[in-house]
Amino acid sequence: MRFSVMLSKLGEGMVTSVLIFTLTLLFSLPLGLIVALARMSKNGLLRSFTRIYISVMRGTPLMLQLLVVYFGPYYLLGIPLSSGYRFWAVIIAFSVNYAAYFAEIYRGGIESMPAGQYEAARVLGYSETQIFLKIILPQVIKRIIPSITNEVITLIKDTSLAFSIAVTEMFTVAKAIASSEKTMVSYAAAGVFYYVFNFIVAFVMETIEKKLNYYR
Amino acid sequence: MKKTSTLSIAVLLIAVFLFSFSLVSADGETTLVVGFDQDFPPYGYIGEDGEFTGYDLDLAAAVAEKLGLEVVYQPIAWDAKDMELDSGTIDLIWNGFTINGREDKYEWTEAYKDAGQIILVKSDSGIETFADLAGKVVAVQTDSAALEALESEDFAELTASFADLLVVEQYNAAFMDLEAGAVDAIALDIDVANYQIEGKEDSYKILDEWIQEEQYGVGFKLGNTELRDKVQAALEEIVADGTFAEISEEWFGYDSCVLSVCQSAGE
Repeated sequence: MRFSVMLSKLGEGMVTSVLIFTLTLLFSLPLGLIVALARMSKNGLLRSFTRIYISVMRGTPLMLQLLVVYFGPYYLLGIPLSSGYRFWAVIIAFSVNYAAYFAEIYRGGIESMPAGQYEAARVLGYSETQIFLKIILPQVIKRIIPSITNEVITLIKDTSLAFSIAVTEMFTVAKAIASSEKTMVSYAAAGVFYYVFNFIVAFVMETIEKKLNYYR
Repeated sequence: MKKTSTLSIAVLLIAVFLFSFSLVSADGETTLVVGFDQDFPPYGYIGEDGEFTGYDLDLAAAVAEKLGLEVVYQPIAWDAKDMELDSGTIDLIWNGFTINGREDKYEWTEAYKDAGQIILVKSDSGIETFADLAGKVVAVQTDSAALEALESEDFAELTASFADLLVVEQYNAAFMDLEAGAVDAIALDIDVANYQIEGKEDSYKILDEWIQEEQYGVGFKLGNTELRDKVQAALEEIVADGTFAEISEEWFGYDSCVLSVCQSAGE
């Protein structure tokens, strides 16, 4: 196999990996905030429900969750599957899983806000919604960016789990090439692909962090 | 700023839309979705040109052509093959798929190829027989015919004599281990072994004793005899018109067919 063919195959896998990555963030970041708010809600039922949700999502392997989301409809409900559902099952499982982690990061950030912030805002006549959206949330985002970056980088590497339900992302391609070509080159190339991807993401996150650093 | 982000989200959604259309469903009506392990040369793997290729995949393509169906190669995680088949996301498994020991778990075509499970060692390891394997580390692929055989009662004594029976995710990892000296032997399919040691025949050898002799067939979901019968008929057709022999010559250098129609023709 020519090196250029290998790179183009890995590139195809990379497109799938990037799609999984982007869509998961698109869905899990907002979902995580909703979960965090439910987790801190005054409604006891909602609070315990989200507690259980977070506990299950963090306490079971993501690979198992992928299998359940993909094969569950058939085995639990008897709905025949179509192959087009594979990719969406990956997005659903990843989003639901990462939302649990993001929720706890958001909660940590929100709870770290001093009570004085709320009191001052109330005195100035802000409504509760305004306080959250205009005063608290912007400060929370500043504080949690480093933890979010951690999760985001883990997500890139977790995309390789998608093959447990036969979505061919980059690492799977690398493995297949390694076994057909009897070479380690494809693994090395895959490593470089991942590193470059992570490097770009880390750079973007750092830029965002610097932009938000406006009080100093 | 706002405009560019809206634009990029739109582009992304369109990409996803197209992506989901490129996927097909396994209805067995216009397509024949072939489930296989893409880490399994020479039966199914990524070829020189980056496209899926292999002995079994070529046969599947020839059969699909006879049936007037479009062949779709769906690489699967080998552990999940039963779930894939049951839930209907693939139509069949065609992948050096051993019938022996699995007779009642799938609907099978007739066996189309003979094969066997062997032990591969480094030629300088000094291992000549099964008895020499005592105290050695033997690697085997998860969910494979070799593993099933070694875990059966017939080989309980042999397996117990190993220092460890290491179950690996895929053979390629086992070959890396063998090369690096972390394992002493690999239990695997004869043709996979021959493919892997091609060009390195001096450094590896296959033990004369075999673990088991077996046969390959095409596996379908239990109860799906309709598609099974169609594929069986198409297999016989490609034997009759010589396509089978051609594919077989190309991959193994001999006519590997063991279907009953081949045997009666040979008599």
